[in-house]
Amino acid sequence: MIRFESLNKVWPDGTHAIRDVSLEVPRGQFCVILGPSGAGKSTLLRAVNGLMQPSSGRVVIDGTEFNARTQSVLRRRVAMVHQHFNLTNRMSVAANVLAGLLPMVSTARAMSGWFRPEHREKACELLAQVGLSPAHLKRRAGELSGGQQQRVGIARAFMLDPEVVLADEPVASLDPKISSDILRLIRDAARERNATVLCSLHQVELAREFGDRIVGMRDGQIVFDGSPEAFTDECVESLYHGAVWDDTTPEEAAGSSLALGTTNVSLA
Amino acid sequence: MTTRPIPVPPRGAEVKWHLSPPYSARHLLWLVLIVALLLVTGQRTDMDRMVAMTTQAVGNLIGVADDSQVVRGLSRVGTAMWPPVIGEVEEVNRMSDLDRDRLPLFSYIEVQERVEQRMNLETLQLEAATEQVEVLVKPLGYVWTVFVKMVETLEIALWGTLLSVVLSIPLAYFAARNYSANRFTYTAARGFISLLRSVPELIVALFLVLAYGFGPIAGVLALGLHAAGFLGKFYAEDIENADKKPQEALEAIGAGKIKTLWYGVLPQVLPQYIAYTAYIMDRNLRMATVVGLVGAGGIGQELKGRFDMFQYGHVMTILIAIFIFVFLLDQLQARIRARLI
Repeated sequence: MIRFESLNKVWPDGTHAIRDVSLEVPRGQFCVILGPSGAGKSTLLRAVNGLMQPSSGRVVIDGTEFNARTQSVLRRRVAMVHQHFNLTNRMSVAANVLAGLLPMVSTARAMSGWFRPEHREKACELLAQVGLSPAHLKRRAGELSGGQQQRVGIARAFMLDPEVVLADEPVASLDPKISSDILRLIRDAARERNATVLCSLHQVELAREFGDRIVGMRDGQIVFDGSPEAFTDECVESLYHGAVWDDTTPEEAAGSSLALGTTNVSLA
Repeated sequence: MTTRPIPVPPRGAEVKWHLSPPYSARHLLWLVLIVALLLVTGQRTDMDRMVAMTTQAVGNLIGVADDSQVVRGLSRVGTAMWPPVIGEVEEVNRMSDLDRDRLPLFSYIEVQERVEQRMNLETLQLEAATEQVEVLVKPLGYVWTVFVKMVETLEIALWGTLLSVVLSIPLAYFAARNYSANRFTYTAARGFISLLRSVPELIVALFLVLAYGFGPIAGVLALGLHAAGFLGKFYAEDIENADKKPQEALEAIGAGKIKTLWYGVLPQVLPQYIAYTAYIMDRNLRMATVVGLVGAGGIGQELKGRFDMFQYGHVMTILIAIFIFVFLLDQLQARIRARLI
């Protein structure tokens, strides 16, 4: 179970990214965090594995508070699937997946690449599970298509059998067909291990299809929390509308938005 | 859902944009300043005399000018250097360990007549005395000596490069802002790298010859230390500029610095590392011929010795050897490059 307790994040430039967010996600739930760009979805996810230090409030994972002391233990239990896949492009697919084990293996083993046979087998199993073939093992990760790269990313994330999977816009750069394939893979692999999934998305349809629960965020605040059935079109409207355009009315926008004043553009 | 129009300025509205011309009076002022600076420094470095003397030399060569200091100087050296020395002749009775049944390859023993001017003590006059001297002639003796020295030069370059790679890896780790343990180690590593880079090989070698004596040790150390500064800087900057995404992924699961570096950074920067190391090898090969001038082994030491004894024929042989050496290396490098790319 993950519990956010009145979490706040203010960036050094004064942006209030997260405002007093409290949320509880029970074990095994597929929780989709939905919202427009800049709503604070990624920032919230990154608080769970310490890639972002909150300004105030705390994150508790299964009764253990996330802090500098518990970070190294908790990070092994929290996996992450990234928007841009974050693979080492010039390294083989096999090595990328095995890199998911790095916190568990000794430095000597890691540097020599001499992983235990059971670990190598596990990497193969996971790659088969995400739909890649043995021919992909030795290919460079950077040569694969976006969808295949994300599959490798998922295999890497599940190498440590995580209790929590953070998926930060995992399908933002993929086409609709591949997007639902990828989300299905994450959901099924997580269910098999009874892992909690926190998945940020911006596609409403995918959120409704895959989420056990939808949390809507806008301007760093939770504005909706409920089942996919309760997330009606009116909710979509209120979640997305006005968030970006809030400061200008349609009349103003039509009249003055290109009146930039005298602008000096120099090519020198 | 309500839609909003994309905002467009109303028709007839005045557009107050302004695109200024690319050059202004300020640029002209800069130009004048730069030209003035060039004129001053040119005068200070005798560039005017250089132009005058070169013109005179060209005039002398095409028969317009009567005399040229440059042409005289060059032809004097050129005459002294020709022909290059190829063989070697040694007096047999000065050689203690000569085995007459087993002479070195291609060499033979010959009896030569030597004419020496001697003072006759009775008449107090110089008389020509003829002497029979047995000598060992090695037709390619000096070429062989130079070849051996050249191989030594190659070895100095190789070990210098190896040493610099080994030294620069820990240096680069501490000099990379995102991996160094703290500000102190970062500053210390950067400072050390700057120190290594700031002292040229020749000057390092000068001091190391005092410490380690004449010979290749000083050469290897001088090349290695200087190049370690070079490589340390380049490696560190590559680590800093490497794609952050895979590093973030490994940090998120708590992989630790060394393992993150190995799996998230090294594969990305390896091609650049190889390119830098190849450049350093190339540079060291050329520098290895020079560090010998201060006694740090290799062909340079031989060159300096012959030059100081006014044996310009020998110097010529060495210069030709260096030219062939560098030429062959360039060819080799072009081959390797063609194969790799």
